[in-house]
Amino acid sequence: MVRVTGNFQSESPLHPKAFEVLNAAFENGWANPSKLSHSGAKANQVKNQALESIAASLGVRADSILPFSSLSIGYFLGIQGLRRNFEPLIHGAIDRKDVFAIASTTEHLVLKCALDGKTIPPDTESPSSVLALQIANPETGVIQECKKISKRVKTDRIFIDATASGVRCEQDSDYSTAIFDSRSWYGPADIGFLVLKKPSQWNNPLPHLNAAHPNFETSLPLLLASAVALENFSKEVGAANEQARAFNAQIRQAFSRIPDVDIAGSLDSSLPHLLSASFLHCSGEELLRAIQNDGFSVDSGSACSADNLEPSHVLASMGVLTHGNIRITIHPGTTQEEIDGLIASVTNQVERLRS
Amino acid sequence: MREIDARGLRCPQPIIEVGKVIPSLNPGEQVTLHSDDPATEPDLRAWSRMTGNTFAVIKSGSFLITKN
Repeated sequence: MVRVTGNFQSESPLHPKAFEVLNAAFENGWANPSKLSHSGAKANQVKNQALESIAASLGVRADSILPFSSLSIGYFLGIQGLRRNFEPLIHGAIDRKDVFAIASTTEHLVLKCALDGKTIPPDTESPSSVLALQIANPETGVIQECKKISKRVKTDRIFIDATASGVRCEQDSDYSTAIFDSRSWYGPADIGFLVLKKPSQWNNPLPHLNAAHPNFETSLPLLLASAVALENFSKEVGAANEQARAFNAQIRQAFSRIPDVDIAGSLDSSLPHLLSASFLHCSGEELLRAIQNDGFSVDSGSACSADNLEPSHVLASMGVLTHGNIRITIHPGTTQEEIDGLIASVTNQVERLRS
Repeated sequence: MREIDARGLRCPQPIIEVGKVIPSLNPGEQVTLHSDDPATEPDLRAWSRMTGNTFAVIKSGSFLITKN
């Protein structure tokens, strides 16, 4: 078996500082913060400190943050909490499936996507609607023109999906609710954050007995590890983006020399650590396995490598080739040697699979 | 007119079959593709853009491809 030496999948190890904290937190952070014991009070204090740290890094108020444990729940809370009377939901064709699932229950409008990966604003205003916007796409990394879309729609109830972008790019401050995924700043999985920027526009959409600020009881150790990862990654993100951009440019340049390649979006308008490329007449599954055998792990949006036989709805909406697709994520620890190896592997394997 | 029956084949095979036939056609000549793979239609759209050929949907699962 070939040892994987280059990880270009979206999943990555925890930020080292978060890993240290996670171990300590599982030893000391077991108490329930809502209970009136000494241990509970201490846990509550630690929880509040973590939320204040996260709030400072995200530039929001600590009391506006609601941690949650499942992204699907986060999408539901963030979007459905703004729809008091089931107003129409406007969202993009390249949004995550969770958004489609929420939209399918009531009136909705799906905004089309252009070949460059950007969502096309609607033709008409819809001030009574709820607008769901993605800061950047998790598959292609393409950064959306949110301000342009919200200006056209003219609604004041706006949900922002910042799960892919995290703190890697600026976001418009004019939104009602937003969700973040801890993994975007190398924090642990199974914890995310809902930000209620305009709390007066939001109602808890889950069954509840009183209108008090909800508490969804997330794991305290995961919360602490996420806060530490965010605090540290916020300081490193400038350098991480710069390094990723240089590597991404090298990969794009090398891939564009391979005949019949379709690279999704341009680097200038994308998150620097993400890249999606499709190679005509190649099977995504075979390409992924061949690259893996060379020691490099990547993701794929091709139907031939998925369980449900459906191609990536993001690539299909853009009009980009869906077969022979690989998705590359460049992490802060990625080295020049790994980039060179990945480029050589993909170039050779594409040629081999086509012959 | 040539016909390609790619029903039952999964991506990228339907597009590969089209790629095999196209070089033998003269500009303006057409080929019909039958495919039940959900990736075929979006991939034909991308393939048309990349190769300069065109296609039209005849009915669900059947496509008319023209060499330009």
